[in-house]
Amino acid sequence: MKENVKRVVVLTIIILVSSLSLYAYYTSTEDLIREQETAKLTEEINQIFPDAGRFVQKEDIYYVYSDDGDLIGYAFKATGKGYGGDISILVGVNNDEDLTIRKISVLSQSETPGLGTRITEDEFISQFNNKPIDAIKLRSNNGEIDAITGATISSNAVVNAVYTEYKNKIKSIQR
Amino acid sequence: MPFKDFSKGLVKANPLFVLVLGLCPALAVSTSIENAFGMGLAVIFVLVLSNLIISLLRNMIPKDVRIPCFIVIIATLVTIINITFKAYLPSLTESLGVYLPLITVNCIILGRAEAFASKNPPLRSVLDGVGEGIGFLLAMLLISFIRELLGSGGLNFTILGYKLGEFTIPVFSSMPALFFIMPTGAFLIIGLLLGLFKKTGVLR
Amino acid sequence: MNELLALFLKYALVNNFILVMFLGLCPFFGVSKRLSDAIRMGLSVTFVMVASAIITWLIANFILIPFNIEFMENVVFILVIASFVQLLEMIIRKTSIGLYRTLGIYLPLITTNCAVLGIAEINYTNGFSFLGSIASSLGGGVGFILALVIMSGLRERLEISDVPESLKGLPIAFITASLLSLSFLTFGGLRI
Repeated sequence: MKENVKRVVVLTIIILVSSLSLYAYYTSTEDLIREQETAKLTEEINQIFPDAGRFVQKEDIYYVYSDDGDLIGYAFKATGKGYGGDISILVGVNNDEDLTIRKISVLSQSETPGLGTRITEDEFISQFNNKPIDAIKLRSNNGEIDAITGATISSNAVVNAVYTEYKNKIKSIQR
Repeated sequence: MPFKDFSKGLVKANPLFVLVLGLCPALAVSTSIENAFGMGLAVIFVLVLSNLIISLLRNMIPKDVRIPCFIVIIATLVTIINITFKAYLPSLTESLGVYLPLITVNCIILGRAEAFASKNPPLRSVLDGVGEGIGFLLAMLLISFIRELLGSGGLNFTILGYKLGEFTIPVFSSMPALFFIMPTGAFLIIGLLLGLFKKTGVLR
Repeated sequence: MNELLALFLKYALVNNFILVMFLGLCPFFGVSKRLSDAIRMGLSVTFVMVASAIITWLIANFILIPFNIEFMENVVFILVIASFVQLLEMIIRKTSIGLYRTLGIYLPLITTNCAVLGIAEINYTNGFSFLGSIASSLGGGVGFILALVIMSGLRERLEISDVPESLKGLPIAFITASLLSLSFLTFGGLRI
């Protein structure tokens, strides 16, 4: 009986000490983790809008303002189904008449190294710069985007994700 | 001889190449030197502290609940390193992915706790942890060196977010042997290294 | 339904637990020498994987997230899995000696099997639904059995073939696994 009590007591004490120390450590770093997340988002948005001063988030859309407070564009995230899994993309839209694509950047992907991963390279990405949305289709589909040789699935995933998400988000932007 | 506790982990009882423990991170995150270094340091931290704590508590923990106690201590340390990496090295955390929390079930750590720390005094246990940890790190660095060099056509010496230097093989880097950074290459490299060590007998 | 099938196939073939994600390697190299052992081990791991996926999902969604103690996730998951496995072993030993002989002896090994904690962590970080977690863990388990069975068949043959002296044993097993993993990479093209 005494042995049994000792077992329970020791294990309970260890679990208690463990949860208390984790709680203390977690609360002391919580702000830092959140700061890191915001810093990462700011950096990603700055890559698309180098002249961005600040941004405001409303329903998954980031409204990007310049230092002077003018609305210069919008950004939102899009997800496509690639060859090796989900591809996450940040899409920047110009605040001009046709709401053209400003630039896109691939945030995360798990495509085949050397083939599909080339969707992150400038040669592919820069094709999207300042194009109207109707041009964002593969050339085989009457668009203006050249697919990467040997990585059609990955290229198509990016193009489709940008196109579909743009059409989803455009209504709330125009409003 | 306490020094022996430290030195045996480096070569003679190397956790990866001799004991063949902790394979899962060794194969999964050895695609680049940066990832291998991050994983190696995390394992050293957890291994040394778990050895120390378990050795200090070795006479207090009843024998039949020792495994749950060890597991809680190890999981706590893993969570601490997980939170630290998230707060200071978010990009490394992302590339280590699920393999960072999985240090909890890395056989090296529970194995050392059970086989060494629960029977030996704190100083020797710490030395054992440092030795085995560094042995693991060195093995990881060797595997990732080969895989990154052949698989990406160059090396990128980035340690915990600080870039120390870079080196690319001209011509080859534009068309590297991608095979080696894929899972297939991981199995092949470890298999060949084990065969090479057996042939030359350096690990005996 | 399609979602669930996609998750199942993803972890059974495309991201095969052993050959692509390297989870559960110790039994893969240790136990996989005989076909019958491989099947039994695979079945018990699959059972524990699905059961712990269910338990950890319930704990994550009804305790960790509502009470805002998500940082305890790792400690709670491994503790729950360890106690569940222990309980299972006790029940099997008391109720059926036959079942204990076939599956029970592998149970103590399963607590520290990366595949079990791995699937719990994957379900949790990806935020899979309840049914999604079951589908992914079932897929992971089936992939585990598949790799284990193929490997055991190959190793039975390797025993009698002429392998260079220094590659005998583990080295050749790794090289075989490498070639197997190469063939699993082609599942990456599945449109799911």
